[in-house]
This record gives sequence, C-alpha cells and structure tokens, in this order.
Amino acid sequence: MIRRIANNLHIMHNLYFFWALLAIPAVFMILRYLGDPETAFDLIHPSGELSVRLMIIAMMVSPLRQLFGRRGWTDWLLKRRRAMGVAAFGYALLHLVFYLIDMAVWEQIVKDAMIFSIWTGYIAFAIFAVMALTSNDSAMRMLRANWKRLQRFVYAAAILTALHWVYVDGEWRGALIHFIPLAALEIARVAHIFTKRSRSAAQAEAVT
Amino acid sequence: MKFSQALMAIAAATAMQVAVAEPAHATGKIKCEAGPQSGWVSREKLEAELKAKGWKIKKSKVDGGCYEVYGTTPEGDRVEAYFHPVTMEKLLVSRRGKVIFRKKG
Ligand code: HEM
Repeated sequence: MIRRIANNLHIMHNLYFFWALLAIPAVFMILRYLGDPETAFDLIHPSGELSVRLMIIAMMVSPLRQLFGRRGWTDWLLKRRRAMGVAAFGYALLHLVFYLIDMAVWEQIVKDAMIFSIWTGYIAFAIFAVMALTSNDSAMRMLRANWKRLQRFVYAAAILTALHWVYVDGEWRGALIHFIPLAALEIARVAHIFTKRSRSAAQAEAVT
Repeated sequence: MKFSQALMAIAAATAMQVAVAEPAHATGKIKCEAGPQSGWVSREKLEAELKAKGWKIKKSKVDGGCYEVYGTTPEGDRVEAYFHPVTMEKLLVSRRGKVIFRKKG
C-alpha cells in the first residue's frame, strides 16, 4: 500500500516535472515579449513551430505503440502524450495571441482570415481547442466512445496545419521535414496491419 | 517490422537530403541577380524611402539576393514585399503567402 502510494507519487512527480518542462519555452517567449512588445512579430514563428512539433510527437505515439508494442520507452511516451497534446494547444494559443498583438488592427485581422493560409490555421486551432478542453478524465468518462472519435479529428488538424504552414510561408521544405516522420510512421502502421492480416489469412487457409 | 524500419530509414534520408539541399534562407519565391553587395543601396535607404511613401516597416532582410520587407503598405495592408537591391524596384508583394503583386517579366 505504502509502496503503491510512493510509486504513484513518483509518477505524479515525474509528470508534473514534464508539464513544467513543456512550459519553460513559453516563459521565455512571454518574458521576451514583455521586454519588448515589438517582438510579438518574431515570436509568431517559434510558438507555431513548437506547437507543431509537440502535436507531431504526440501523434507519433500511437503508431509507435502499434509497431514496437509495449516497451519502456513507448510506455514513457504514452504517459506523456496528453501533456504534449495540451501543450501543443497552449503554444498554438500563444501563437495566435502574438499574431493578434502583432496585427493590432481588426480590419486587417478579418482580411487575413479570408486567406487560405490563415483560415486553415483558425480551423486547426478550433480543433485543438476542443481536444484540449476534453483532455481530462471527467470529459473522457462523459464522452465515452465519442471521446475517441473526437480525438481522430487531430488528423484533420494536422493536415490543416501542414497546409497553413506551406501556404503562409510560400515554401514547403520546413513543413515537409517536420511531417515526414509522422507520415512514414502512419504508412508503416498501415503496412504493418496489412502484412499482419495477410499473414493471419494465410495461416487460416493453411489450417483449413 | 523490417519493412517499417526500412521506411523510416528512407524517411530520415529524405529529410536530411531536403535539409542540406537548400541554404536555409533561399525561399525560392524570387531571386535577384544584383551583383556584389558593394553595389547595393543600403537597407536603411530602402526603408527610409518606403517610409516616406507611407509604408510602416516591421523588419527587413536579404532573401534570395533581394531585399525582403515585412510591413504595412500605404493602403494599410500587412504584406511581405521584395525589392531589387540596386534599383529598389518593387518585385513581389504577398499577403500571408498569397501573391498580390508581381512585377511583369
Ligand atoms: C489560430 C489561427 C492561426 C493564425 C492566425 C496563425 C498565423 C500565422 C502566421 C501569420 C504565420 C506566419 C508567421 C511568420 O511569417 O513569421 C504562421 C506561421 C506558422 N504557424 Fe500559424 N496561425 C494559426 C494557427 C496555427 C496552429 C494551430 C499551428 C500549429 C499547430 C500553427 C503553426 C504555424 C507554423 C508551424 C508556422 C510556420 C512558422 C514559420 O516557418 O514561419 N499555426 N501562423
């Protein structure tokens, strides 16, 4: 009993530590902005990029678990997936706030929102917001099977984010480098499912 | 498992290839062949000229051999604009990746 509590505390401790770790870049970004409000413009880039990175790592957990099974490191990642997902939303929020501060003028914000590269960002952000708000145990219980369905929207958010990035930059290399690992894992996952299926089908045939 | 490892190796190789193939700053949107930098007008001069015309400037830098300026046009639009570093001619203006002006030719 005591041991279990100690173990739990240890894990809790670790997870809190991990949350704190994820918050550090935000502290620096906010301090930089407070030091010089003109830097809001320069902070749009790093906050957006960190958000995408966290989203991608969180999304890689599931295919990694399917391909490599339950291992120490896949367990480690799984335990931290929620933190990474919520942090991805946090940095997207920061990204949006810096953007709004930098734009400053309502008519210009509205005019921007009509452009493909920007409305893709807003929709991705809306999906992130819904996911982050439901990333707690009570929301999971309340939504039951729908929770998983809701989480699948992350794929739409990922595609929208990739489009947002490519179109806002007018350049695809940065986005490509970031999305290749996830895309490769997803392809590998599908291939893995297929080979497993055909193998078990072959076995079934061999038996009959 | 073997197949997925091969895929990941290919992906890593492709990513590295993309990363080294292009210098970090050449975006490929536009290129200026303007000779050595000693013959260029200074960025300060370009900025001053634009400000006199009613632009507001956030930032400027060299990109693809051109001057790239982030700012607000006299009409109030937030844009990213490219200028020739010798003639100071406006070459390309885009808003959030959408091209709204391109010099003919
Ligand atoms: C909420 C609506 C959003 C708006 C208005 C918005 C706006 C912008 C703008 C204006 C830029 C260009 C920054 C620059 O030129 O320096 C940008 C870039 C970027 N945004 Fe967003 N964004 C939004 C949502 C998102 C979301 C949800 C993500 C990620 C999950 C994201 C990730 C990025 C990334 C990775 C870049 C590229 C960074 C770069 O290379 O400059 N954005 N965004």
